[in-house]
Amino acid sequence: MNKKFGFLLFGILFGFTLSRVGASEYDLIVGMFIGQDYKLVGVIITAIVVGAIGMQVLKRFSRPVISGEPLKISHKELKKWSLLGAALFGIGWGMSGACPGTVLAQLGEGKIFGFFTFAGMICGTYIYARLKENRPEL
Amino acid sequence: MVASIIQSIFVDPWPFWAGGVVIGLLVPLLYYYFNTALGVSTGYGNLVKIFLPSKNLQWIKSKYAETFSWRVFFIAGIILGGLLSALLSGNFGLTAEMGRFTSIAQWPALLNALFFFAGGILLGLGARIAGGCTSGHSIHGIANLHISSILATIFFLIGGVIAANIVRSLFLGGGW
Repeated sequence: MNKKFGFLLFGILFGFTLSRVGASEYDLIVGMFIGQDYKLVGVIITAIVVGAIGMQVLKRFSRPVISGEPLKISHKELKKWSLLGAALFGIGWGMSGACPGTVLAQLGEGKIFGFFTFAGMICGTYIYARLKENRPEL
Repeated sequence: MVASIIQSIFVDPWPFWAGGVVIGLLVPLLYYYFNTALGVSTGYGNLVKIFLPSKNLQWIKSKYAETFSWRVFFIAGIILGGLLSALLSGNFGLTAEMGRFTSIAQWPALLNALFFFAGGILLGLGARIAGGCTSGHSIHGIANLHISSILATIFFLIGGVIAANIVRSLFLGGGW
């Protein structure tokens, strides 16, 4: 399967699922942070458990990758500022009631303020690129 | 029978486990088909290249050599998926509502826009410094038992709990 076309299809499945389960709802995300609604906690924990089992099953396949190349699992190392970045991300998550994936589903659903979160995310990434020019440790 | 299945897939909100199962399966499926980790936020670098002047930014130049990479297609797919969900369930329509935030706070539209824009800036900047977001760290990383992703997720949650509770007590007080 062509990689770009494949990711378009998997993206559609991902966005459809986020929207159907309510992960694109401000009330569900912020409700989780203020202890009013734990549905999304259930979604995230289920996803982690299913993903973990799926990866263990995959590793036992004789051909874990359809192309035959060896399985290459991406491992994100923590850098000096990573956890500060994670906290900033969390503040943005709690303010906007969205994360980088769910804001895209919000766009598809027609939520106008989701567009501003989305535009902010592009600008935030741009700010990172500017900072990175002089601070390679970021 | 068929009608009730269609109803529960396309119209009714899904129970938490249904969403969790599909999202969780994406992790091994993306490795199986493309040997690629689930992740969304890295693709925003492609969007910077598409929408903002970035010719002089070394990081963009080296990391995003291909402007319209698969990441852009993934992002486009997620938007389409949200659109599809809204259309099929009959909920599509441009709306200036954002849950209880807009129904309780009753701010002028411009102020709302600035608030969500500011949240977006923190999401974009924070995700890059953290090296990933909810999908890359919290789902993919923890499913692969990476300590770094568990730590990042704890700090995502700390930030989220603090911010949401401040917003609630300052702007949504009493109503929620």
